Amino acid sequence: MSAAIEYFQYVLAPQMLIGLVLGVAVILVALGLTIIFGLLDVINMSHGEFYALGAFIALALASIGLPFWLLLILVPLAMLPVGYIVERGLIQRVFHSGERHVTTLLLTFGLGLVMEDAFRLVFGPNPHKPETPISGAIDILGVFLPLYRLFLIVGGAVVVTLVALVVYRTRLGAMVRAAAFDKHMAASLGVPVQHVYAGAFAFGVALAGLAGVLLAPIYTVFPTMGRDFILMAFTVVIVGGMGSIAGVVVAGVLLTQVQAISSLYISPVWSDPIVFGIMVIMLMVRPQGLFGRLGHG
Amino acid sequence: MADALTRSMRASHVLVAILVIASLIFAVVGAALGDTFYLRLGTEALIFAGLALSVDILLGYTGLLSLGQALYFGLGAYVSALVLMVTPSFWAAMGATLAVAIVIGLVGGFIANRVRGVFFALITFGMAQVAAKVVYNTRALGASDGLIGVPIINVNFGFASVSSASPAGFFVLTLAFIFVLYALSAYLLDTPFGRLVIALKANERRVPFLGFSTVTPRLTAYVIAAVIAALSGALYPMLRGFVSPELLFFTTSGNAVITVVTGGVGTLVGALYGGILLTVLKSVVGSYTEHHLIVIGLLFMIAVIFLPRGLMGIVRPAIERMLEPRAKP
Repeated sequence: MSAAIEYFQYVLAPQMLIGLVLGVAVILVALGLTIIFGLLDVINMSHGEFYALGAFIALALASIGLPFWLLLILVPLAMLPVGYIVERGLIQRVFHSGERHVTTLLLTFGLGLVMEDAFRLVFGPNPHKPETPISGAIDILGVFLPLYRLFLIVGGAVVVTLVALVVYRTRLGAMVRAAAFDKHMAASLGVPVQHVYAGAFAFGVALAGLAGVLLAPIYTVFPTMGRDFILMAFTVVIVGGMGSIAGVVVAGVLLTQVQAISSLYISPVWSDPIVFGIMVIMLMVRPQGLFGRLGHG
Repeated sequence: MADALTRSMRASHVLVAILVIASLIFAVVGAALGDTFYLRLGTEALIFAGLALSVDILLGYTGLLSLGQALYFGLGAYVSALVLMVTPSFWAAMGATLAVAIVIGLVGGFIANRVRGVFFALITFGMAQVAAKVVYNTRALGASDGLIGVPIINVNFGFASVSSASPAGFFVLTLAFIFVLYALSAYLLDTPFGRLVIALKANERRVPFLGFSTVTPRLTAYVIAAVIAALSGALYPMLRGFVSPELLFFTTSGNAVITVVTGGVGTLVGALYGGILLTVLKSVVGSYTEHHLIVIGLLFMIAVIFLPRGLMGIVRPAIERMLEPRAKP
C-alpha cells in the first residue's frame, strides 16, 4: 500500500503536475483560437505567431525596464489594435468569397510565414530566456513545484473564467454570440456586426499575446515558438469542439495528461503521435468535437 | 465547338508544351556549359511540382484542401530509398511506391473522406503529423537523420539508359516523368469520372440526385492524388541520395499549397509553373537575403487576396481566346 502511495507521490504526481502546467499553457493559446473560430468561422493559422508576437513584445518592453506585472496588461492592450487591423485590412478582403474557409486559412498561413521570418529578422534566430518574475518553489504533498508554475495554473484558471464570464454573462458577450449565430438578424437588431467580428478577432489575438507574456519565462522566446506550440493548441480545439470554451479546457487538460502519463510508460517521443492520433480518431468519430459551438446553442 | 472545360484544358496543354520546350532548351544549355547546380535545382523544382500537382487535383478539382500531402510524398521517398538500397532498380522502386501508395492512399482516403471542408484540411494535417512523428522516432528508418547512402542508379529503358548521377540526363528524365503525371491527370479529369469529380466540387449534395455515388469518385480522386504525390517523392532519393523526415513535415505540405495557389488553383499547369516560380524566387531572393520567407509569404498573401485564380488566371484566358475560333461575329 505504501509503495503505491510512494509511487504516486514521487512518480505519477510530479508528472501530472508538469502535464497540468503544459495544459494551462496550451489552453491559454487555444482559447483565442477557439473564440476566433466560433465567431468568425476562421481557422487562424497565424495564431501561433501572434502568441510569439506577444512574447517578443514582452521581451522588448522588459528590456527597457518595465516590470512583468505591467506587461500582463500592456501587451494584450498593444495586441488589440494589431488584431483589429489584421481583421479589417486582410481577413475582411477574402471573408466574403465563396470558399471562405480555404481562403482565410491560406491568408493567415501566409501571414504566419511573414511574421515568423520578421521575428528572425528583428530578434535573431537564437532563443531568449526572460527572467522568472517569481522565484522560489513550494512543496505540495512532497511534490516540488516552482512558484511561477503555480501562479501560471492559478492565473490561467482566472483568465479562462473571466473570458467565459465575458462571453456568456455580459451584454457585450450576448451581442457577440448573436452576431455569430445569425449575422443578418443581429445586424437588423442594431448589432454592429463588422466591428463585433474585428473586435472578436482582436480579442483572440490579445489572448494569444497574453499567453505569450505568461509562458515566455517557462518556454523561452524564439522565432518558431508559435509553430511548435500551435499544433497542440489546434489539437485541443478540435478535440474540444471548435468554438467551445469548455471544450478547450476539458480537452486541454485531458490531452496534456495523456501526453504526460503516456511518456512515463512509453517513451516520451511517442506522446506526439498519440495525441495527434487522438485528434484524427476524434475527427473521424465526432468531427464536431466534445462540446458544441460558441454561437450555436 | 468545345465546352469551357475542354477549352481551358487545351490552354493548359499549350502552357505545358511551352514549359517542356523551355525546359529542354534549359537542359541542352546546362549540359553544354557543364552545369550541375542549376540542373539539380531544376530537377528538384520539378519533383516538388509533382507534389503540387497532386494538391491541385484535390483542391482545384475535388474541392478538398489537403494540408498533409507531404505524407504521400515522404512515403514515396522512403519506399523508393528503401528499395533502392536493396536493389538499385528504378522500376522496382517505382513499382513498390505505386503499390504502397495505393494501399496507404485507400486507408488515408477512407479516414479523411469521412469529413468535409475545413475538417478535411485538419484531418489530413493530423494524419501527416502522426506519420512524420512516427518516422522521426523510428530508428530503423534513420530517425531524425533520415536514410543516407541511396546508391546512384542507371534507369534502363531498353533502348537507352540514364544515370541518376548525370545532371542533364536525370533532369530530362524527371521532366518526362512529371509530364506523364500531368498528362495522366489531365486525361483522367477529362473522362466522365473527371466530370463527376468536378461536379462534386460544384455541388456535392446534388450529385446523388443525378444517380451517382459521391463516395467512390472522391475516394478515387484522393488515391490518384496520393499516387501522384508518392511517385514524385520516389524521385527525390534518386536525385539527392538521401531522404530526411523533413519531407514529411508540414512545411512540405504547406509549400505545395503555396505553389498551387500562386500558380493557379484548378489549372494543373499552375502547379508546374508555381513550383518553378517559387524555386527561382527562393534562389534569387536567397542570394540577397536569407529572409526569403517574408517575400514568399507576402507574394502568397497577395495571390490569395488579388489573384484568386493565381498566375495562370492571368495568362490562361489569353491563350483560351487564341485557341477559340472566332465563332461569334
